[in-house]
Amino acid sequence: MTEDIIRTENVTKYYNKGKINEALAVNDVTLTVRHGDFAVLKGPSGSGKTTLLSLIGCMTRPTSGSINVKGRDVSHLPERFLTDLRRKIFGFIFQQFHLIQGINVLQNVMLPLYPTDISISRLKTRAEGILESLGMSKRRAFPVQGLSGGEQQRTAIARALINDPDIILADEPTAHLDTALSVEFMDIMRTFRDKGKTIIIATHDPLVFESGDIDLIVEMRDGSVTRVLRND
Amino acid sequence: MSINRHINVLDYTLQSLLRRKFKNAGIVLVFSFVIFITGSILFLTYSFKREAFLILNSSPELLVQRMMAGRHELIPVTIAGEIKRIPGVAKVEPRYWGYYYDSLVKANYTILSSADPISANNRLLKGRLPFADEHNTVAIGRGISEARFIGPGSGISLQGADGGYHDLKVVGVFEADSELLTSDLIVLNQTDIIKLFGIPEGMATDLAVDVHNENEAPVIARKIREYFPDTRPILRDEIIRTYDAVFGWRSGLILTLFAGALVAFIILAWDKATGLSADEKKEIGILKAIGWETSDILEMKFWEGFVISVSSFLIGIISAHLHVFFWGASLFGPALKGWSVIYPDFRLVPFINPYQIATLMTLTVIPYIASTIIPSWKASVTDPDEVMRG
Amino acid sequence: MRKSYSFFIFIAVCLVIISGLAARSTIEVSGFRDAANDLREITAALKLTDICFSSDARYTRHPAQADLFSAFQDYPGSIEHFPSGSVVSPPDFITLDTKILVRNR
Repeated sequence: MTEDIIRTENVTKYYNKGKINEALAVNDVTLTVRHGDFAVLKGPSGSGKTTLLSLIGCMTRPTSGSINVKGRDVSHLPERFLTDLRRKIFGFIFQQFHLIQGINVLQNVMLPLYPTDISISRLKTRAEGILESLGMSKRRAFPVQGLSGGEQQRTAIARALINDPDIILADEPTAHLDTALSVEFMDIMRTFRDKGKTIIIATHDPLVFESGDIDLIVEMRDGSVTRVLRND
Repeated sequence: MSINRHINVLDYTLQSLLRRKFKNAGIVLVFSFVIFITGSILFLTYSFKREAFLILNSSPELLVQRMMAGRHELIPVTIAGEIKRIPGVAKVEPRYWGYYYDSLVKANYTILSSADPISANNRLLKGRLPFADEHNTVAIGRGISEARFIGPGSGISLQGADGGYHDLKVVGVFEADSELLTSDLIVLNQTDIIKLFGIPEGMATDLAVDVHNENEAPVIARKIREYFPDTRPILRDEIIRTYDAVFGWRSGLILTLFAGALVAFIILAWDKATGLSADEKKEIGILKAIGWETSDILEMKFWEGFVISVSSFLIGIISAHLHVFFWGASLFGPALKGWSVIYPDFRLVPFINPYQIATLMTLTVIPYIASTIIPSWKASVTDPDEVMRG
Repeated sequence: MRKSYSFFIFIAVCLVIISGLAARSTIEVSGFRDAANDLREITAALKLTDICFSSDARYTRHPAQADLFSAFQDYPGSIEHFPSGSVVSPPDFITLDTKILVRNR
């Protein structure tokens, strides 16, 4: 299937618009991500790739322009619908992992689906399954503060997968990892892409964008797209 | 079933509260204590008032005291005859009573004479009152019986106005259940009390007036004041309402306790109302980023406030009830007792005004929940994208 | 056991205790009404006017009988009895509904 899963048109995002600390983060970006793409947003820090990822992931709304997710315009949806969409379609892996301290691995993984109608036993089974596939079963009752970097990341990945998302977004995922763990991360992402998920990674780590089978590279600088490379 | 989501959110909230175990335990402790004190005061005062009302409804309808130089003086019994002639007056009887300081136990007793008998099957009097023609016999209250270690058949010696000692035999002791009324009483017959206190002939402590029609009492009181300007009539209504005032929230000690509880409570709510810590803001951001809606966050905050305030309220109110009705308000004892040696065990009857309890709950639980939810509002509605950049 | 369930059980236990206390209170109150008759008989026979909750001074023992200036009644400059004196406040004439008439002679 090669239909478009994400399409942005002339998307612009200002922060603190009209105020003294106004900042232009994303400037007139038009791009298309296809279903099943392994995509990378490439650029140095400050290039706007994190903001663009945030816009695509329905975490914030554009100042102007439109964003289409699975054919649906999400640019002006009210918050409730955005959250619902986020819950159904996206899985997010943050640069800092952003796990909730003080609870254990399993609880962190289940957390995104707490305020839904899924029964707790089904949720638990699902979470345990995902942790197993990531080799984290042994650690499932551990509080997250005690985990190593790699374990924390795998917990973050597991959390992003709990809702069985169509699209996985990762922001600088290898920033806190050594080479071995970075390679492992890419392998994990590849297995998900092979299962039919769409992956979008924002990074400036060559290990990521120079690795084998990236379908789409979007180069960014100062909020604008400078180059789009599609590997057909 | 849509109830799942609420239980899940509650689960997370409880987990969250347990993460800051000591802080939250402290809050529950203080909150419960505030409810405990306030609840105890409400229970104590309401019960007192109801009991006082039920008992004192049998007090004399009208009492006439004589005043001299602003102080309570003995009243000539001849006035009774003149008062009897006022229309509406059924009966006028002189009362003889006063105080006695017992230096042996450093206690004050109330000594009075009885005119009317008490029926034999009154369970609150063990024994009997002195007969009208009997001399040197007394009935005493339980407080005196315990302070002096005397009972039916024992003797008690009181020093009279003439300096001599009057030896009296105890023929009746009031039971503990009537303590609130009789604890410090010594009942003599009329001749004995007059001799003991050295009350001049023709004088009495005050006069008790019975009227035909209760509604007429204020009118008759006015007339008595008119005819005898140096007297002070006291209506039964005023007697009862005195106790409303004594145990009302305006009484000094109770007001102080309330104020203290209020300050403690404000400090509690202030901690919440001054906004979220950085940690809390971050947590909300993360939850939003992983898919929690604003309404879910607010529900979490609601549960947070609810769990703490409702738990504290229940603990506090149950403790207050036990404190007042099972343990006789023992914490307040020293405050109410003061210098009294004869002090009744507060075996209070659990009259409860549910309206008071509901008001207390409304005034504590709802503001607390509000002070938990409202400061989170801003963080809850912010775009989760902040978390991304943070 | 899920934490929510523990919380619900705690609330349920509290409510059960409260119901128990409420039931017991109702029983005691109705029991009191019988004892109240005996108390009323004593009150009427002895013509009592006050409850004996504090016996450290005249105006705390018989607040209903006390003069308006009772706080200083013992002697000029006498200190008030604390704390029972702070509990006993003088009757508030505004709420007592007693009319004070001033007559010009």
